[in-house]
Amino acid sequence: MRAKLRTLLTIGAVFIGVFAISLTNGLGSGIRSYVNRQLGNLGAENILIVQARQTFPNPVSQDVVEYDQNRQAGQFNVTFLGADDITKIRNIGGTKSITPQFDFRIEYIARDRNSKKYQASASQYVEGFRLEMAAGRLLTATEQNGITIPVRYVAPLGFSSAQDAIGKTVMLSYKDRSGLAQEREVFIAGVQEQSLVGNVDMTVPVALAEEIYRAQTDGASERYPALFVQLENAMADLEQVKQKFSDAGYDARTLEDQVGTIGTVINTILVVLNVFGAIALLAATFGIVNTLFMAVKERTSEIGLMKALGATRGTIFAIFSAEAASIGFWGSSLGIIASIIVGTIANRVATNTFLKNFVGFDLLAFPVLPFLGILAGGIILALIAGALPSLRASRLDPIQALRYE
Amino acid sequence: MLPQELIEYIHSSRAAGVTDAGILHALADAGWAGALMQLDDSVMRAVNLIKTYEGDTNALNGVSLSIQRGESVAIVGKSGSGKSTLMHILATLDKPTSGELIIDGRATSELTRADIDTLRNKKFGFVFQQFFLNGRNTCLDNVTLPLTIMGISRGEREQRGMEMLKAVGLEEKSKQRAGELSGGQKQRLCIGRALISNPGVIFADEPTGNLDSENSAMIMAMVLELQRSRGITLILVTHDADLAAMCDRIITIKDGHIV
Repeated sequence: MRAKLRTLLTIGAVFIGVFAISLTNGLGSGIRSYVNRQLGNLGAENILIVQARQTFPNPVSQDVVEYDQNRQAGQFNVTFLGADDITKIRNIGGTKSITPQFDFRIEYIARDRNSKKYQASASQYVEGFRLEMAAGRLLTATEQNGITIPVRYVAPLGFSSAQDAIGKTVMLSYKDRSGLAQEREVFIAGVQEQSLVGNVDMTVPVALAEEIYRAQTDGASERYPALFVQLENAMADLEQVKQKFSDAGYDARTLEDQVGTIGTVINTILVVLNVFGAIALLAATFGIVNTLFMAVKERTSEIGLMKALGATRGTIFAIFSAEAASIGFWGSSLGIIASIIVGTIANRVATNTFLKNFVGFDLLAFPVLPFLGILAGGIILALIAGALPSLRASRLDPIQALRYE
Repeated sequence: MLPQELIEYIHSSRAAGVTDAGILHALADAGWAGALMQLDDSVMRAVNLIKTYEGDTNALNGVSLSIQRGESVAIVGKSGSGKSTLMHILATLDKPTSGELIIDGRATSELTRADIDTLRNKKFGFVFQQFFLNGRNTCLDNVTLPLTIMGISRGEREQRGMEMLKAVGLEEKSKQRAGELSGGQKQRLCIGRALISNPGVIFADEPTGNLDSENSAMIMAMVLELQRSRGITLILVTHDADLAAMCDRIITIKDGHIV
């Protein structure tokens, strides 16, 4: 009875470790597969986002610095790019086109002048970026009046569906340089699916972005936070190209680089969770060693009898190894099954609540192969843990063992 | 078969009080030892067994004996006399410090550990004073343990197990846990377990030591009846002179010697 309880508790320890690792694994697979799919959707393999290399001055320095019109004074001292930078970058070579990122702000979006206004933010659409569309199309390079909106705006703006919104006129409003609200009629060219990575704002075409930028600045200003540089050749020697930009004093990144930081954060979290699981498994391993040593002690006379009756060392070793393996098997299987059940429930809850608008995002994914790996790992770990007690059992001297009681 | 003259030589030497070891030595000198090992009808022959435990006097001081097929032999002696050590060595559970044990014409010192395990599994049966049954398992499982170790299929195990349980009068208890049996029933189960592999030799170590006199008599009668009817060799270790007297031959051990 006590032996059974001990075995059950040991299985429980393996269960907890495997459950943690398996759930972490599911979470990792879910997020990673979503991010990868989104990244694959981004396109724009030959577009670099080029910024001035940002310098971070000593925050306690009281030196007086010479004025630079491209250096915005402020907490972060963002350095902008200007017309001369466009020339400089063109001279580096290998570029097909250079589009400035126009720094503009819009205030709201509304169906028309008299209907409800909604806060909105928009970013400039860069040709080549792919967005997952619920309806309609992406913007084009020569577009003047079309925009795309995220799917969450469809209902508030009074459209019955994403499809219904396509081609309809809406109104964007922005404040001009003197602070007056300006209204601008545009039409909806496309509706974007909600996404965690890439573009989460409305997108407006370059021409419109520039138009608003000119209206919001003095009209002749050339201060760009970044330049979108389209390369002639796609990324064959990406690192080399980046290095060239770097040598020229710029910081060049692909969109994937930008999104990649999300992956790093996720991976770090997953590693931490996995470490917890591994610690639990390590504790479980000691549990297995202990359980089997106790079992060998309790069954000493039984082992002695079996040896007297001609059981070989190999047979005795196999009996206890099988016991260890079965602890590993049950602990791992139950842990995996529990993690799948919990993961499935969590998925359902998540997709009905905070992930509602993210099409195709399962919080946890459960590919078969890693689970077989975890199962095999659990059993192998148990076998290794069981090796020492099994060996001791197999080496028992039958006479001593039979005298044991 | 031994040549007639050799048998006569052995018999006359024994009659003259020469020990088996002495006979063996004489035969070895005459170049007959190998032939003796092969042609001897003894199931077990011990030659000058010595067992020394560290820091202790010798547990066995040169024991030589020969046990014939189908014979029942009682090894008697007080506790500490070395009779248990002798039994352990004869049963290959222990190794002599020096001397030789020949079983079925094969010198055990030349056998591998696996050979010896197989030998015990197939040719020996054991009955112990403390039973060593697994109380949680059924009687059928307990009685068939040697067959399980042998790797025999479940179907055959159960069939032979039921036959054996019938032979020891426990067929109705087959599904019952061994822990629920009375002492006499437990020892009958052990006899069944000892006989199930059709062994050539049964070692019984104080088989009635944990039983009352009525059960003792019943168990002893059963052991001897089964042993004789099946032509099995019985080696009985006991300190009980009455039990020993029921055997064909008595070997008395004192201070590691046969007396």
